Amino acid sequence: MHELGVAGEILDVVLSEADRHAAKKVTSIRLRVGVLRSIEPENLSFLFEHLARGTAAEGAFLEIVEEPVRIECEGCGVSEARAFKCECPRCHGPNVSVTGGDSLRILTLDIED
Amino acid sequence: MGPGGTVRIEVERAILQSADEAAAAIRALLSERKIFALNLISSPGSGKTTLIEALLARFDGKGGVAVVEGDIETEIDAERIRKHGVQVRQINTHTSCHIQPSRLLSVLREMDLSETRLLLVENVGNLVCPAEVPLGEDARVVLLSVTEGDEKPLKYPLVFKTSDLLVITKTDLLPYVTFDVDRVRRAARAANPAVEIFEVSATTGAGMSDLLDRIEALRAAKK
Repeated sequence: MHELGVAGEILDVVLSEADRHAAKKVTSIRLRVGVLRSIEPENLSFLFEHLARGTAAEGAFLEIVEEPVRIECEGCGVSEARAFKCECPRCHGPNVSVTGGDSLRILTLDIED
Repeated sequence: MGPGGTVRIEVERAILQSADEAAAAIRALLSERKIFALNLISSPGSGKTTLIEALLARFDGKGGVAVVEGDIETEIDAERIRKHGVQVRQINTHTSCHIQPSRLLSVLREMDLSETRLLLVENVGNLVCPAEVPLGEDARVVLLSVTEGDEKPLKYPLVFKTSDLLVITKTDLLPYVTFDVDRVRRAARAANPAVEIFEVSATTGAGMSDLLDRIEALRAAKK
């Protein structure tokens, strides 16, 4: 249930941005979320909706852009995977390192002023 | 202005920025006082408090140790540490499944850290949430006991990716459980090629002195 804390952080950022732009209403929020964050989109949306009640972000749609895991393989270069792996998803080589997939960012907001 | 009076604004901001700011303030406080801090993370019951007790025995008389215990409820771990005669504070996080850096910062500001050289922070027992939130620590230690199963780095990669030390605990139980140490080592190294891995048993003492030596060396290296 760690999505609760994340939802609260999103709301804080969204409301301060909305305030800065003198927005009456936030209609949509676009997020980039890395697979490594173990965030369940449905949980996050549900909790956000609950927390945002009575604020300028009430009813805002959360659009979640999933960021895959980025895997660097000594044998064949860089590839991406839908989940963490300790072998290369392409050539199955064992010498890999994970270099991305942990983003947690707000990209854009759609607001009405 | 788009159709219907809607405007799209670019934000491009990390969501946990407020936590990052509090963690930076902790880092500054620790650095000013030359305190070396460990953030201990694991599932419940893998041996964080036992490792703290071993560190207290090792560092006794070598400069002050202070401990901050994180738990959802209860003072059980703080009581256990208090018996060793060191300064200890309990943070009860209630609804939160990890220590918030802002909370740790205010606790550290209330403590007398004038003699402290080593700060041990025991995070809430959980492999997900504590991994997401930096506490301004010098080193992050993830513990994994052999009774938990060797698939943990595959299931919870972020904590292995963000930890400096991986301590595989309760290795005296290896003959009785299905746990492939090499599988854990491989997965942890894929998540973080720089992770330092230790295998220990607090019961038999196997591997403990290597781990404590390494922590002592890391602490000594912080000027």
